[in-house]
Amino acid sequence: MGGPAVSTVDTRVKLGGIALRNPVLTASGTFGYGAEFAPFFDLARIGGIVAKSITLEPRQGNRPPRIAETPAGMLNAIGLENVGVDAFITEKLPALAAGVVVVASVFETEIDRYAEVCKRLSGVPRVAGLEINASCPHVKSGGIEFGQRAEVLAQLVRATRRATSAPLLVKLSPNVTDIREMARVCEGEGADGLSLVNTLQALDIDIETRRPVLSNVLGGLSGPAIRPVALRMVWQASQAVRIPICGIGGIMNAEDAIKFLICGATAVQVGTANYLNPLAALEVAEGIEAHARRHGVARVADLVGTIEVPAR
Amino acid sequence: MKESAQLALPLRVDAEVRENRAEGGSNFRLRLAVAGWPGAEPGRFVMLSPGARGAALRFDPLLPRPMAVYRTLGVAAPPEIEVLYKVAGRGTRLLAETHAGDRVRVVGPLGVPFAMPVAGRRALLVGGGTGIASLYELAARAAQRGPVVVMLGARSEAELMGCDDFAALGVELRIATEDGSRGHRGRVTELLEAALDAGAGGEAIYACGPTPMMRRAAEIAALRGRSCQVSLENRMACGFGVCLGCAVPRADGSIALVCRDGPVFEAGQVAWAGLP
Repeated sequence: MGGPAVSTVDTRVKLGGIALRNPVLTASGTFGYGAEFAPFFDLARIGGIVAKSITLEPRQGNRPPRIAETPAGMLNAIGLENVGVDAFITEKLPALAAGVVVVASVFETEIDRYAEVCKRLSGVPRVAGLEINASCPHVKSGGIEFGQRAEVLAQLVRATRRATSAPLLVKLSPNVTDIREMARVCEGEGADGLSLVNTLQALDIDIETRRPVLSNVLGGLSGPAIRPVALRMVWQASQAVRIPICGIGGIMNAEDAIKFLICGATAVQVGTANYLNPLAALEVAEGIEAHARRHGVARVADLVGTIEVPAR
Repeated sequence: MKESAQLALPLRVDAEVRENRAEGGSNFRLRLAVAGWPGAEPGRFVMLSPGARGAALRFDPLLPRPMAVYRTLGVAAPPEIEVLYKVAGRGTRLLAETHAGDRVRVVGPLGVPFAMPVAGRRALLVGGGTGIASLYELAARAAQRGPVVVMLGARSEAELMGCDDFAALGVELRIATEDGSRGHRGRVTELLEAALDAGAGGEAIYACGPTPMMRRAAEIAALRGRSCQVSLENRMACGFGVCLGCAVPRADGSIALVCRDGPVFEAGQVAWAGLP
């Protein structure tokens, strides 16, 4: 697609009411509260950051071991360790430079607590939008994930939608039979956009001890290993709903991110790559712009949903 | 350990391998040219991704490996750092296969360094295996402030590393090998016990090596009412406080991150029984 190379590219996109200077955000849980990356690059040069998921009260998280390496990926069961919503607002947000777009990620164990966190974040000037983490697979409390049952997901989105007028994204779990059904539920309840996917529920074993490698037994699989699965789900969801989608799953470089845009994602989040390459998100943003320029695409938004499926 | 505002900020740079030398046993010494390297306070570390060439990173194995900065060779331009490692799994095996001219991605320097001994006091440094890598810069700087005794331990003489480097610092060197092939036959912590019992008191104690060795050093220090700084190891994905993977329990029940709150800890603050 596209024509001859263009000299300037408009990289701006709009994600469910959140204006982004380029389509690259960082995935919740992989970027701390942002300040940890300030020594490496100017965070205002990427689209935005999705902060670590916060709960009403601070949480300490799981006992070690919390992570393990797997083929082209990793398992984690951190247990949503976080500083709590109040410290997030009073300590973490002010530490970020003015131009940084911040999306707050919300996690809780009960629906009314989710709504309460959303309420406290509403109207906080530095919060550009909220992302509801409906999918964390490794917290025992609550058992099954909110995002795994359509009626529970509907209740969650309804309650958080009522609690805030801020742009509301819902981060979906990939651990479902039909991602399209979950996407439609969120759209029907008033979500402004979708983020997908979260980690895939997974297990690994040490054959000498015959024990699971993580203290929590199950963990979330992330990294390049899950990218084709994530891409498939983004494509399916984008065909099922009209609200914008933020694609996530094993994005290591600009080429990976462009695949998500082509499959219908309006923006992307870089996750696990931040660990091994603290400049990953910036390099993805620059790489997308360079690709658009080379291919004569004047607006990055014009790449979205340009998948060409041959007639069968 | 107290955090210092003057610590050098980390950078990410694709370093060039200058030399990757087998050192006996399955030990290696890797020398890297790191453009812009700001130097590293004793005890700090880097994350290394073996096999990164140009901008393209290897994604399997996915994660970088934490390695102590053995020493900075400041006379070279760009500055060079040395890292000592033992081949233990896929990541270190790939590192062992790198040759001069290859690229290795470096993120660092990271972590909280050792607190220096009070000037004039004797410093006792106990190192086991590749744990000695955390102690070289400490020995070098401590030697400018007072007498230093370095005790190095390994299974056998063939697996001992760095003896000549330490000796060249002018510090007092004591060796222990489990098979008795060099120095004291037995564990390096026995040398620590003997040094403390023969000493005048007031020494600063530092230990780095396998967890059981550091735990024993901590016990020996605690039995004499003494503190001891240790440098812990753990799995970690990032090295700068965001993956939260390297959590260890503190004695008071709280959680510490080895990368951000350490790797250097006061031994008494560590819940040794809860280490992974």
